[in-house]
Amino acid sequence: MKRTILILASAALLFAACDKISPDSFTQSASGGGSNWTNANVHRAYVEKYTGPKCKNCPMADVTLDAAHHQFGDQLIIISVNHPTGQGVPWAGEPDLRTDDGSAWSQYFGISELPSAYLNRGTHQYTGSMGEIVADIEAAINQTPQAGIAVNATASGDTISISVDVELFSQFNDGLTLTLALTEDSLVYKQSMPQGEPDENYVHNHMLRDVITNTWGEDIPMDGLAGEHKVGQFSYTVTNNDIRLENCHIVALLARKSDRSIVNCAETTVN
Amino acid sequence: MRNKRLLLSALACMLGGAAGAQGIMGGHVTGNIQLDGQMSHADSVIGAADVPEKLKLNARADILYTNGDFSAGLRFEAYQTPLLGFNPQYTGQGIAHYFVSYKARRISVTAGNFYEQFGSGMILRAYEDRYLGLDNALLGLNVTLRPVEGLTVKALAGKQRVYWDYGQGLVRGMDAEADLNSLIKPLADSKLHLTLGAGFVSKYEDDESIPSAADPSSRLNLPLNVGAGSVRLNLDYGHFTLQSEYARKGQDPSKINDFIYRPGEALMVNMSYSRRGLSASLQAKHIDNMGFKSVRSQAGEMLFINYLPAINKQYTYSSLTMFPYVTQVNGENGLQAEVAYRFKKGTLLGGKYGTDVTLNASTIYGLDTVQLGGAGTEGYSASWFGLGDHYFTDASLEVEKKLGKHLTLTAIYCYQEFNPAVEGEDPGLYHNHIVVGDLHWRVNKKHTLHFKAEWMGSDSRYSPDEGLTDRRAGDWLMGFVEWSLGRHWFFSASDQYAYNDGTGNYPSVAVGYTHGTTRLQLGYGKQREGLLCIGGVCRPVPASNGLTFSLSTSF
Repeated sequence: MKRTILILASAALLFAACDKISPDSFTQSASGGGSNWTNANVHRAYVEKYTGPKCKNCPMADVTLDAAHHQFGDQLIIISVNHPTGQGVPWAGEPDLRTDDGSAWSQYFGISELPSAYLNRGTHQYTGSMGEIVADIEAAINQTPQAGIAVNATASGDTISISVDVELFSQFNDGLTLTLALTEDSLVYKQSMPQGEPDENYVHNHMLRDVITNTWGEDIPMDGLAGEHKVGQFSYTVTNNDIRLENCHIVALLARKSDRSIVNCAETTVN
Repeated sequence: MRNKRLLLSALACMLGGAAGAQGIMGGHVTGNIQLDGQMSHADSVIGAADVPEKLKLNARADILYTNGDFSAGLRFEAYQTPLLGFNPQYTGQGIAHYFVSYKARRISVTAGNFYEQFGSGMILRAYEDRYLGLDNALLGLNVTLRPVEGLTVKALAGKQRVYWDYGQGLVRGMDAEADLNSLIKPLADSKLHLTLGAGFVSKYEDDESIPSAADPSSRLNLPLNVGAGSVRLNLDYGHFTLQSEYARKGQDPSKINDFIYRPGEALMVNMSYSRRGLSASLQAKHIDNMGFKSVRSQAGEMLFINYLPAINKQYTYSSLTMFPYVTQVNGENGLQAEVAYRFKKGTLLGGKYGTDVTLNASTIYGLDTVQLGGAGTEGYSASWFGLGDHYFTDASLEVEKKLGKHLTLTAIYCYQEFNPAVEGEDPGLYHNHIVVGDLHWRVNKKHTLHFKAEWMGSDSRYSPDEGLTDRRAGDWLMGFVEWSLGRHWFFSASDQYAYNDGTGNYPSVAVGYTHGTTRLQLGYGKQREGLLCIGGVCRPVPASNGLTFSLSTSF
């Protein structure tokens, strides 16, 4: 008898464990909502690609990633990092695209082979033509965002004013960081090719020109609770006269502090 | 984590004790080990990507200790890195599964990882399929009570495995099944055999912020507890059998249903008749928004709490599985019918040894829906018997005929209609005609030959310039020959060739050696990209070109 009562009591408890939401309560006001909010709730994938002007196979990776960029549009954000040594060293008389921050990133991942890439700064290193990365990018994009991020940038002379919105959709128990990077497209310089002579007029896109924040980003003062919303303002002055702002993007990376993996990212042109 | 360490420590002590004092503690240890490896290089014609790490490896070892009513086990898994087609998130190694269990006449208790199923699985099925790379084992507690003869009550609670982690959703469930012939004395000797069952599963998950489709500045008000229940009736009467189950699920906005609030339901009915030489069955299925995951925001194949069985016939021949049907958890209506008849030996069609003939047909459609909105709405309305998009139809005739004492021929003709929309591709309809011939010839005690020839004519086309990139498309010829030498060796060669409107030629060879419970197999060749499906659950198989090997043993 006792056992039967126990079973029935357990069943009653279990049957109660089902919530019902009335149709007029399916939605509620979000706690946040800045001006860029309609862009912020998209999950984007971030590919950090390590390349070099003397790397013969790097253009093969470019083909794969260009096609992926065409396929996924602005849901895929790419930063090309010029490796600091070996095949990353520029040809004589050619521009030097190496940066201190990019070198630190490269060192952190222990890059010894070009091309290499990481998706959302995960653990898997993609190399060669990186054909398998496309499916992984799609899978990453299809994940529901754990946090939303949007970025806006306006230039006045050489100074760029940057606004970043962040909202957490899930709880984060470890800290979050925000990294802002300046990238430039349409840079034309000499590049080794898989076959034949180097291409003197190879077009390089998504090249890292500078990291605006600290190398690994700024700590975001949030409690990590779902629904939290922060807006941050940044200002950056371009000191490199070779940089053409009309070809530049600002990339915002929201990352976990513990392992530097990317939670979400956003990109904007400089208006 | 602390609990995991405690359990593992207990297991290690126990196994150590068993190994060191087998005679004192008694009990015995059994297990099996499997190792699968793959090397592949780039092949642009078939779409095979390069494998930078050169070698991919899946390995597992199951160890089970049994001592009377008590058992304990663990499974070590290693994916360094996972074979092509397995999710890269499996990369790693470690103890993936561990449990201790006590099983007596009236009660069974398992603590740790366990698999379980309620009824046909429509509200709960925790299971593993190593070939699909699927393991949704629960980590928790599972109790089964048999208070009286004929009544079984199950209760469980736990979290589901997702690769090397566990989903945040908590799964709780109860199920009861009553064998009325055992419980009710007057029915004990009845020809009518009745079994009734009912189950309920609830999952709990923390709140999160999911934007509404209609108003991105709003977020969804999510149900934190989602319940699903089912009732079932199985009936046997003489040659007749009826199996039926109806399931219903509460509001469950999730990634797989685009965060809509429509409740889910499903019905499965299977009627069959069987007597010596003749069997017939009719199966019907209705599914409406019954995808049930323990983590609402997870897409992909993992973390499904339930399982919705496939309704179409499951074949093993390459051409018949080229376009496999994928169960549509968001909604489908389907029917399957099968008649099998054995022409007796000595008759005109039966010949000297008899002839088996099987006719099978199935058809599956989407639901006829009226869209009401996206995330944050009821989603759609649908009628029970309305038919939407045509997903799949097949009709086959299979004849199995023993031509001689050691010679058996199986011949199949199948007509298929397949809509790539079931794989998430653009909708369309492929029409396929398939013919299979399969000959088994036991030449003598030492030698056996196995031949297979398959042809598929399809109106599907491979033409990348037109955006038609499905490498399974076109007309195909396939051949296979296998020579088994004694009990130990086999050698095989096969080829799949898209001779019209398709692409690729996929030759391969294999050799295998079996000794006792140990089997070693080595293969080299090309693998066509496609889907591997088991029971309507599928995983993609990318193209590959290279070496494969497999080693398995048990003790």
